[in-house]
Amino acid sequence: MHALRSLFAFRKGLPRRTEVLLGISGFALFLAAWHVTAASGVIRPEFLPTPAAVAQAFVRLFTERDFTTDIVISIGRVWFAFLLSVIIAVPLGLFMSTYRAVGAFFEPFIDFVRYLPVPALVPLLVIWFGVGEASKIAVLWMGTFFQLILLVADDTKRVPSEYIESGHTLGATRGEIMRHIIIPAALPNMVDNLRITLGWCWTYLIVAEIVAANSGIGHVIWSLRRFVKTPEVMAGIIAIGIIGLLTDQAFRFAHARLFSYLKR
Amino acid sequence: MEDFLSFKNISKTYWSDDVKTETPVITPMSLSVAEGEIVMFLGPSGCGKTTLMRIAGGLETQDTGEVTLAGETLSGPDRRRGMVFQSYSSFPWLTVRENIKFGTRYRKDVSAAEKDEITNRYLNMVGLGRYADFYTNRISGGMRQRVAIARTLASSPDVLLMDEPFGALDAQTREFLQFQLMDINQREKKTTIFVTHDVEEAILLASRIVIFSSRPAFIVKEIDVNAVLSPQDRREGNADTQVFFDLRAEILAIIREEYRHTLEDA
Repeated sequence: MHALRSLFAFRKGLPRRTEVLLGISGFALFLAAWHVTAASGVIRPEFLPTPAAVAQAFVRLFTERDFTTDIVISIGRVWFAFLLSVIIAVPLGLFMSTYRAVGAFFEPFIDFVRYLPVPALVPLLVIWFGVGEASKIAVLWMGTFFQLILLVADDTKRVPSEYIESGHTLGATRGEIMRHIIIPAALPNMVDNLRITLGWCWTYLIVAEIVAANSGIGHVIWSLRRFVKTPEVMAGIIAIGIIGLLTDQAFRFAHARLFSYLKR
Repeated sequence: MEDFLSFKNISKTYWSDDVKTETPVITPMSLSVAEGEIVMFLGPSGCGKTTLMRIAGGLETQDTGEVTLAGETLSGPDRRRGMVFQSYSSFPWLTVRENIKFGTRYRKDVSAAEKDEITNRYLNMVGLGRYADFYTNRISGGMRQRVAIARTLASSPDVLLMDEPFGALDAQTREFLQFQLMDINQREKKTTIFVTHDVEEAILLASRIVIFSSRPAFIVKEIDVNAVLSPQDRREGNADTQVFFDLRAEILAIIREEYRHTLEDA
């Protein structure tokens, strides 16, 4: 009774071990429910294969076909487009929030483009860039760039004005205030937003690879669908989940290391 | 006394979006501060005293008039006027020592070795030697204000501008820092403008107190505290002498009168 009560203490923390255990239990419960449903035969295996069948299909993807290459290609596309977004969006976002004129110039246009649904742009981008790599990169870039600018601009705006005014009265030039104060102050939030934006890249990647591609995870999933290879299709989706989870954890780890000073 | 920092005919009006009118914040006023003087700006909250100080720091622009420092007309902020804010302005990504050293970062008048020496001197002056390698997120609010004061002093400004630096601190910490600042003042002899609404703080630290009216600000009265109170009268524990007591009563009466005006206007 006491143990149960401490487990549900209102807005209180839990020991790390308990948290990990709870996380694993949640996952295990999901797998068990899935297995029971699939094994009972209520739903035909073409629609819902058992977890074991999906696991076997996962292995088959690597042994019977060159799934590793597809994964590498997909990761390559995601990171190329993501970095292309970052190197343009970060400086632009910084300037937009620092110089009102730059912000006023770009904001209405960005707000407009931001609301265009990216999947709807795919046909247009294919007309422009063909079915090669360029169109896939363009889709990913369109999906992240405009969002990222606004996120960066927002992070920069949230830097307390006392920091900037302190810089002025300590004799820093505007460039020095940007480099020595605004960027380090905004960086933790910015890295967090990069992590979230990278996640969106994966969403748009599948859109791009399903529509026009002959390689990549999305292509594999989509082509196996034609043969109703449901276990393989699910294995492909799970592969994306795993890659996403690993990248996210890597970002979080880097964030905790780089910005350890934020911890009280 | 020779003028060091001078406000000449300064006025300021804000556009208020709520009532769609111009609200005067400071009515044309002039004020001179001598070198080494500590002038306390005292007045009802929201009266415009902070705005006046920010104009001196170049962080806001006046509508009319000019501010001069040693005869030179000022515009825009620079290292000659250092500012300490009420909210914590120390940088969380730097340690206590690095924050204080940041004050020397843009100085071209001292060598790298001297910068280290200056950093150490102010680190010890504010009594944070033991916390030199702590990030400022992990020290108390009072300590963070000491970091901000040390950082500003390390930049060697001609004038120190303090905007209610102890306003967010608890009474005990505030008192401790007031006495520490008195010691620092005696060593540094830095020309200072200090904004506060705490009457005792004003008496304790001032060479001169300037009492402002409620908004729009004009100077109601100036009190030469040095002429009335000796340094001895301000020592720890001496704050309840008769002179101190009388002075406080006199100032409180003036401020009460000002608050009454504010209420009657409203």
